[in-house]
Amino acid sequence: MVPTEYYVGLSAILFALGSVGVLTRRSAIMLFLSVELMLNAANLAMVAFARGWAASGSKTALDGQTAVFIVLAIAAAEVAVGLGILVAIFRNRVSTNVDELAEVRG
Amino acid sequence: MNDLVAWASLAPLLALVGSLINAFFGRSLKEPAPGIIASVAVGLGFVLSLLAFFGIAGTGEAVRVGLWDFLRAGDLELSLGFHLDQLSVLMMLIITGVGFLIHVYSIGYMHGDDGYSRYFAQMNLFVASMLVLVMADSFVFMFVGWEGVGVCSFLLIGFWYKDLANASAGRKAFIVNRVGDFGFLVAMFLTFKVFGTLDIQTVNAMAPTMLYGSAALTGIGLLYLLAATGKSAQLPLQVWLPDAMAGPTPVSALIHAATMVTAGVYLIARTSAVYAVAPGALATVAWVGVLTALIAAIAAVGQTDIKRVLAYSTISQVGFMIAAVGAGAYWAGIFHVFTHAFFKGLLFLAAGSVMHALGGEQDMRKMGGLGKRMKITGTTALIATLAIAGVPFLSSFFSKDAILAATFTSGTLADAGGGVLYALLLITAGITALYMFRWYYLVFAGPERLDRGASQRVHESPGVMTVPLVVLAIGSVLAGYVGLPAFLTDNRIMNWLSHSTTTGEFTHLGVATEWLMLLGAVVVAFIGLGVGYWVYVVGKGALVKRLDNTPIAGASRGAFGFDALYKAVFVDTGSGAAEAVTLLDREVVDRGFVGLGGVAPLLGGLIRRWQSGNVRAYAFAMLLGAAGLTLVAALVGVLK
Amino acid sequence: MVLVPLAAALLVMLARNSLGLARVIAVAGSVATLVLAVLLPDSRGFDAQWLPGIGVSFSLGGNGAAAVLTFAAALMMIPAVLVATTRVEKGAGGFAALLLVALAGLNGIFMAKDLVLFYIFWEATLIPGLLLLGIYGGERRREATVKYLVYAVTGSFFMLVSILALKALSGAPSFHIVDLMLVTPNLPVATQTWLFVGMALGMAVKLPLWPLHSWLVDLNEQNHHSGAADVLGSLYKVGSFGFFAWALPLLPAGAIRVAPILLALAVVTAIYGALGAVGSKHLKRFLAYGSLSHMGIIGVGVFGMHLSGLNGAMYFLAAQMISTGGLFLVFGMLYHRRRSYDMADYGGLARSAPALAAFSLFLIFTFIGVPGLSNFPGEFTSLLGSFQATPWPAAIATLTVIVAGVYGVNLYQKLYQGPTDVRVPDLDVLEMYVLLPVVVGVLWFGLLPAPHMERIETQAQVATLQLERVTLPPGGPTLSDVGGAR
Repeated sequence: MVPTEYYVGLSAILFALGSVGVLTRRSAIMLFLSVELMLNAANLAMVAFARGWAASGSKTALDGQTAVFIVLAIAAAEVAVGLGILVAIFRNRVSTNVDELAEVRG
Repeated sequence: MNDLVAWASLAPLLALVGSLINAFFGRSLKEPAPGIIASVAVGLGFVLSLLAFFGIAGTGEAVRVGLWDFLRAGDLELSLGFHLDQLSVLMMLIITGVGFLIHVYSIGYMHGDDGYSRYFAQMNLFVASMLVLVMADSFVFMFVGWEGVGVCSFLLIGFWYKDLANASAGRKAFIVNRVGDFGFLVAMFLTFKVFGTLDIQTVNAMAPTMLYGSAALTGIGLLYLLAATGKSAQLPLQVWLPDAMAGPTPVSALIHAATMVTAGVYLIARTSAVYAVAPGALATVAWVGVLTALIAAIAAVGQTDIKRVLAYSTISQVGFMIAAVGAGAYWAGIFHVFTHAFFKGLLFLAAGSVMHALGGEQDMRKMGGLGKRMKITGTTALIATLAIAGVPFLSSFFSKDAILAATFTSGTLADAGGGVLYALLLITAGITALYMFRWYYLVFAGPERLDRGASQRVHESPGVMTVPLVVLAIGSVLAGYVGLPAFLTDNRIMNWLSHSTTTGEFTHLGVATEWLMLLGAVVVAFIGLGVGYWVYVVGKGALVKRLDNTPIAGASRGAFGFDALYKAVFVDTGSGAAEAVTLLDREVVDRGFVGLGGVAPLLGGLIRRWQSGNVRAYAFAMLLGAAGLTLVAALVGVLK
Repeated sequence: MVLVPLAAALLVMLARNSLGLARVIAVAGSVATLVLAVLLPDSRGFDAQWLPGIGVSFSLGGNGAAAVLTFAAALMMIPAVLVATTRVEKGAGGFAALLLVALAGLNGIFMAKDLVLFYIFWEATLIPGLLLLGIYGGERRREATVKYLVYAVTGSFFMLVSILALKALSGAPSFHIVDLMLVTPNLPVATQTWLFVGMALGMAVKLPLWPLHSWLVDLNEQNHHSGAADVLGSLYKVGSFGFFAWALPLLPAGAIRVAPILLALAVVTAIYGALGAVGSKHLKRFLAYGSLSHMGIIGVGVFGMHLSGLNGAMYFLAAQMISTGGLFLVFGMLYHRRRSYDMADYGGLARSAPALAAFSLFLIFTFIGVPGLSNFPGEFTSLLGSFQATPWPAAIATLTVIVAGVYGVNLYQKLYQGPTDVRVPDLDVLEMYVLLPVVVGVLWFGLLPAPHMERIETQAQVATLQLERVTLPPGGPTLSDVGGAR
């Protein structure tokens, strides 16, 4: 069996890629993509750990997989709401440049 | 017998009731009803005082009348009450007796004045306060009367308040008095600290056991002296009395001749036991008295206002009294209080009679020759003048001689310049005779210098005013006989007061020396009168005109410039300080703290920069924060 | 005691459109509170568990200084609500209701036996005060309100920290004063000192102690012109009570360390206030400064930490409520006639308004401490007591009587004497009713202080007993160095 560490490593790389994407992308859609990437990296980590615990005979091993369900649902909801807001905003402006959304400031 | 004496404690209450009646209902009463009510109140007080006098004469013992508990805080347990002994009863007689005469006089003098009832209400309140002052058994209760007479003095001096000058005179009196009150208060604090009580008799009883000449006792003595100088218009607080002449003349007679100004003398006499163990303070008292007497007498020579001469004369005469108590002869000081009440009260009332006749004129340069047209006033005034000059067999002769003898022979003053003090007082006595001669001459004798209208109006005053004059004149003649010199015969007043005051140490003089001193006083009096006669009658005042521009004349007229000095040092710096405080408060303290409040917006401004609105920055911040938390959690987990 | 004014306030709000009824309810409420205040010393007090988790109980007790202070406060509330319901143009009902709420809070401050409850009332009485100032005040009311709020809250913040730390560090089972007093004096001196400083900051603002006093001047200046809110203002200066009832008994060692500084500041406050009064040309600022001077003397009495001084200080606190409040109302009456608080707009009033002049003079003399009137016994005893412990500060503070004499008669002369050119109507019946409780109070407190002082004595002795038990480490000041407690 593939060791759990490899999966976690992959998850970490994916998470890092997602973070970089959040920080550097200017397009709102790309921002969402990167966030999804981060979320799914977390999912991967959780499934990997679930499998790892199951292999060592823990009774609560399936908690990881349950968590993934919840995270997926939340991600879906979040994307729905987020895209809705985005569409509302971009009805008024043309570009999808995130830097221009700087009006809520002190 | 004791009950008889105790009844006297109603005297202040009667005066208070009279005051309240006039205060609340006076305006609906017609003249002279308020005056009669007030006079009756004081008159009844006199009767009660007489009863008390005979009561105490009979038993020789003091009577205490407790009133109610006043203060109760920690070790301070103070009840109010009266202590009636020989000294207080004598003062009560003076206050109510002379007071009654002056009230009757006022019925005529204040006739037609708008504030008729207000006047009598305030006069009665004054009498009530003054009685409380002399009857009190504790320093606190005495202070109640002390401030009370200060308040009434303020009201009565500024009686005709529409003229701002009068109101200011009242204000000045009150404020200068307050400096003395400060002394009284701190003296009380120190007394409580040293003696543990504020009951006067207890303090006097404990005094001989205290450390002789200690700093604390001297402090107490000096502080009470400060209080006395305020009330009695002595150096350095004498400046209010000449201005106080702005009040109605009977006020000057009662308050500034017979009673309030003697409160200081009374205070020192009352606490004689304390002063007996504080020789430094006692010597200071004597010096203050003598210097004041001399300076005021010189000032009196140069005055042109009929009442101001008398004002300075009062300051000078009270100086004599203070010198007496400072020499340790407390009885002599009170003796002079007694005689002075008669002749000075008479002098003021006579002055008032003259002013009444001349429609309010007070400048002596516009008087003269009035003795022929106002026979009763003139004659009684002459008697008073001779009395105050110290002419033999009149009252002041005996009391002044007692004082002179005391300063010369005083044990406590022997090391403090007793001889010098004696000499200065003797000179002052001579000057007294001089300025009083001048006063009498300019007003009642000599050529008439009246304004034309006044000349036609001059008339003798009504009976209600002249009868008190006559009574006081009789007193001015006879009052001295209670204090015949001890080396000749029984000195009644000295014996009377020996029960309530301590007496200092005095060197004993031979009979011949005593006679010499008596003669010396007589000679000085006649020299003074003689000089006056020579300058004014013979020389027709030519010498005066020649000396008019000399510095001494200027000093005399301006009373040595104390007013100007005090104005510069205290009034101006005081207002300056007040202005400074107001300014400081508004600009510095207020702005300072409001400025401190500016820190919050400043900090806020700094932090505001993070709220840039930039989404990516926020995201970065979130990332950092999450990483930080994870790190912390990991570290904590590792450390566990 | 707390409930009655609150209930009255509620009823007044309900009745606010019918002014006459509101007036009756308000006066009745005040009178009822006054009656309760008289009965207070014999009552048992009220204890109830409130927040047992942190040890806060709702405990009120009427012994000690509370009896005298609540009495004076309730007495002055009667003229205050009378004026409020007759001289306030808009929202008179609300005004009176706020006054009553403030009275309730004030009573709570005096009667609280639990430290947190005390703090809650301390802060709560800010609310009616701020509302009165902010809604009914003068032109610069906003600035004055903000100033008052910031001063008070900042100080109270430090006080709160000290309060919470006090219980936590000393390990007391609850915030009740009895529990606290047993353990807090055992705290180490350094701890007590900084705890005391924290409490002192909060209380010094409300004393008010120089230099934290400027909020008071603006508060009084901007408060409603009738003077009714300022009557309350004179009730607000409860800082000294805080020291007396809480800071001194709970942190005696800290108090001994810090008191000399506070004493010096109190002397400064007394003289500074008096000089400020001399220099004031605005009637209300004049009273603010004069009252500040009185508070300085109260401070001298408290920080001298002598039994008589403490007693006198609290008595003075109660008595000055009456005289200061009375003068504010009189000046409100002057404003009512001339629409001005500038002294230059007045002069020679005694001619046309002799009764007003007489009452004013009566109150002015009370204000400056003439014996027989309310301010004297407290002022005298404060200074006497403080003098026994520390002579020189008390002696210097006594100089204020001279300055007080100056500002008192100066004011009277400026307003009432001189050539007549200003004619005003004399006192009317309503105003006489307003001044009646004031006169009664002045005479009562001035002539019969002993019974009141005996009640304060019990609480004062608590404080001095705590102070006497203190033994400081060698090398530091001892109680006898600062003059001793008796």
